[in-house]
Amino acid sequence: MGSWFSTQKVAGYGVAAIAAVLVLYPVYFLLQAAFDVGDPQVRPPTAYGVDNFSSLLQYPQIMLNTLTVSLAATVMALMFGSLMAWILTRTNVPGRRLFEQLMAVPYYLTPLLGALAWSLLGQPESGFINGIWRALGGQGHLIDINTPYGIAWVMALFEGSVAFVMIAALMKSMDPSLEEASQVIGASRIRTIMRITLPLVTPGVLGAAIFVFAEMLGSFAVALVLGLPTRYYVITTAIYQMIQQYPPKIQVAAAMGASLFAVMWAMLYMYRRVVMSGSYVTITGKAFRPRLLDVGRLRYVLLGICLLYLFVAVVLPLATLFFASLQKIATIFPTAENFTLDNFRTAMTMNAVRSALSNSLLLAFGTATIGIVLMGLLAWLIYRSRLPGGGMIEYIVMFPQAVPRLVFAFGLMWAWVVFPIPIYATLWLLLIAYLTVFLPLGVRTIAGVILQIDKSLEECAQMCGASWTFRVRTVTIPLLRPGLVAAWLLLFIASVRELGASILLMGPHSKVITPSIVESWFGTSSELTAALALIQTLVVALAIIVLVAVTRRVSAQPVD
Amino acid sequence: MPASPPGSPRSFSTPSPHIEVEGLELYYGSVPAVRGVNFNVMPGEQLTLLGPSGCGKTTTLRAVAGLEQPTAGEIRIGGVPVFSSAQKINIRAEKRGLSMVFQSYAIWPHMTVFDNVAYGLRVRKAGATEITEKVDRALEMVQMREFGGRRASQLSGGQQQRVALARAFVFQPSVLLFDEPLSNLDAKLRADMRIELRDLQHRLGITSLYVTHDLEEALAMSDRIVVMRDGLVEQIGTPDEIYSLPRSEFVADFIGSANLIRGRHRPDLDSDGLTALETATGQLIYGMAYGRRARPEMTVSVRTVHLRISQERPAGERNVWPVKIEKTVFQGDFSQIHLYWGDQRLVARCAAMEPLAAGRDVYLAVEPRRVVLLGAGNS
Repeated sequence: MGSWFSTQKVAGYGVAAIAAVLVLYPVYFLLQAAFDVGDPQVRPPTAYGVDNFSSLLQYPQIMLNTLTVSLAATVMALMFGSLMAWILTRTNVPGRRLFEQLMAVPYYLTPLLGALAWSLLGQPESGFINGIWRALGGQGHLIDINTPYGIAWVMALFEGSVAFVMIAALMKSMDPSLEEASQVIGASRIRTIMRITLPLVTPGVLGAAIFVFAEMLGSFAVALVLGLPTRYYVITTAIYQMIQQYPPKIQVAAAMGASLFAVMWAMLYMYRRVVMSGSYVTITGKAFRPRLLDVGRLRYVLLGICLLYLFVAVVLPLATLFFASLQKIATIFPTAENFTLDNFRTAMTMNAVRSALSNSLLLAFGTATIGIVLMGLLAWLIYRSRLPGGGMIEYIVMFPQAVPRLVFAFGLMWAWVVFPIPIYATLWLLLIAYLTVFLPLGVRTIAGVILQIDKSLEECAQMCGASWTFRVRTVTIPLLRPGLVAAWLLLFIASVRELGASILLMGPHSKVITPSIVESWFGTSSELTAALALIQTLVVALAIIVLVAVTRRVSAQPVD
Repeated sequence: MPASPPGSPRSFSTPSPHIEVEGLELYYGSVPAVRGVNFNVMPGEQLTLLGPSGCGKTTTLRAVAGLEQPTAGEIRIGGVPVFSSAQKINIRAEKRGLSMVFQSYAIWPHMTVFDNVAYGLRVRKAGATEITEKVDRALEMVQMREFGGRRASQLSGGQQQRVALARAFVFQPSVLLFDEPLSNLDAKLRADMRIELRDLQHRLGITSLYVTHDLEEALAMSDRIVVMRDGLVEQIGTPDEIYSLPRSEFVADFIGSANLIRGRHRPDLDSDGLTALETATGQLIYGMAYGRRARPEMTVSVRTVHLRISQERPAGERNVWPVKIEKTVFQGDFSQIHLYWGDQRLVARCAAMEPLAAGRDVYLAVEPRRVVLLGAGNS
């Protein structure tokens, strides 16, 4: 037993060291570039200073744009989120269960797909909606998606689901007897809402607002697709532009990235403080059966709101892309000969697309498989072993959560360019990047599975006389399997749809699908892009169907 | 019959203990869980570790099982050391030949009832016919034979408990360990299972070490009880000894309900083998020392059921006092009567009787042999 403990220690600290290198090495290079004020052509830096940060003041427009878009998106996401959360958890609207599950769909469709679809719908000249508007006799355009509020609208729809998730959880965890107590004492319903319900949920909603705002600050895909045509830059797209242009402004981009990272980190810190200090509601962790409000006829109005939400966030975007992908030149009122299957044929036969798609699948497979082992060991190390330093490792592992993937990838790029082994611009670098940026996702998912399994299930096998290998084979792995499969699929899905890190790190011979979709959007035709986006969605959807089937099986077979 | 360890349960010639625990200490970092525990379990005996939560009883059991590594001490099973800090021995749990029933039952949800029970036999590479035979017999013994094909998720708590039990004894281990096996069952089922478990243990003649915080369970099931507190042993004895002759205030108070009376020894009044005690307010009470040494300041314990209340003055001179009733609490099978006795309040438990009004004057009496002097001794 003594030797087994030391094997555990070696394995544990080995894995922890790998995670630390993965996370901290790029961050170091990001900071090095941010403080490098010497000759940009020379590495390592010849002089250090804070000039790069003071030069950020030359870009007030970008800061203003970022704040405008992020604030508008946060406000919209909170409005949608609270309204939907209230409807689905506190009223007797028909089909609540189903709608609650469907609320995750926009997130799975990805912000990129949402931006492409809404671009087709809402461009001032060629947008479908504006086409209908003019056909009905309108003048000019009804909506313009290439504006700050257009960008915020798409971000709120496709990245704001987290607001709904957080607020719904908050409402579910609220003990209904707190409100009932107020009513029994004689307070009216309005007074109860004002004096009891609102104060109770305020800290949680504030926490959600901070969290969503931090997420919007780091958002990239929507601002890229919808902002670039009018040269409307936010901080993430500005960083991307500075790195891609010639000559690149690496140092200023690094300073921008470091600042963004500092701000997001501060926001997430504030979020934790708010949630920990002020939340009276979620402390018990108990799920209560919320009191449902009987809203009478109004329930059909609320049902309409739910359907409308799903229509603009799911049905309309998918239908738009499908409609566009079947045309030679996408227009709202196409003639019969305009219809074609060529886009799909091209998408499936073009070498660039095929290699990007197969690269993506290969990478996703590798990331998920290696990730399961690495993140499984980390989760076990943090949450099951009693090794000292577990808290510190958890902190490092969760670190990428606070850094936008684009900024992280920038650090990675800068770090691995000077790495002695030539992996820059290969799939290997992408693999390393994915393993790093998905650490929080993977570790949290697997930890959930590990924590579900009662320790005595393994101990009991030991008391029956089973050796370690026999126990692992007959008890541990069978119990963990459904959860590990789910975590594998989640990592697979996340990898296939990854954009922020891939767009900087892929090389000419290591293209992957999501950045290729963006390239196609700006470089070839929107019709072909629509076909590509649908193909990618199909791959992700297949993976999700398997995921749901697996999770069903897990819940049908409860683990002690 | 299961394979008997050296020193068979029924043999009189070799009364050597089956499990020996010596100077066991277990620290989590610098936090002590067990601080030096000694006890033996004789072959075929059911020994119970009893104490409040946090007293170290479960940690001790897990150390015997091999699931926790002690800091110091020695554990021998059948005379063979399985853990010894001095000799640097620590045999793995799976090699100790023990079996255990867990508090959470630990029924594997991905296997059928049959596969759960067969696990220990499959580990031991038993043949298919032997497995079927033994698993069927074990399930028969816990009245679960017809459930063999079910999954664990389709069983109630009591049924899971029975499966866990069958799984634990099917491969004829030399020792069975029980970690609060009944604590997750409801009160009625718990009382039934208590008797069933005791019967089964007798039929199997297996040495068992049992952990519980439930007093009634310990008294009903054990051959001997080890009362633990703060990582130390307070008292070891048969259920009757523990109940009738507690050694310390803790044991007297923890095991059933007792009145504790402190006072000064009056050797000048000792007579007829009785020890006299005078309280601060001058009340005299006679008790028995049971071999324990009387000290100038001492405490006696009187069980609430041994205090008797009457309206007429009972015969006898000693241990009879006029008292006033504070209140009576009706509790169904009995009534709990609170009394003023000097400056102290005493509680008496009487079979349900006509309620006595508060403030009423009655007589209180107790037999001197029921007044037990506390303290270390040779009892």
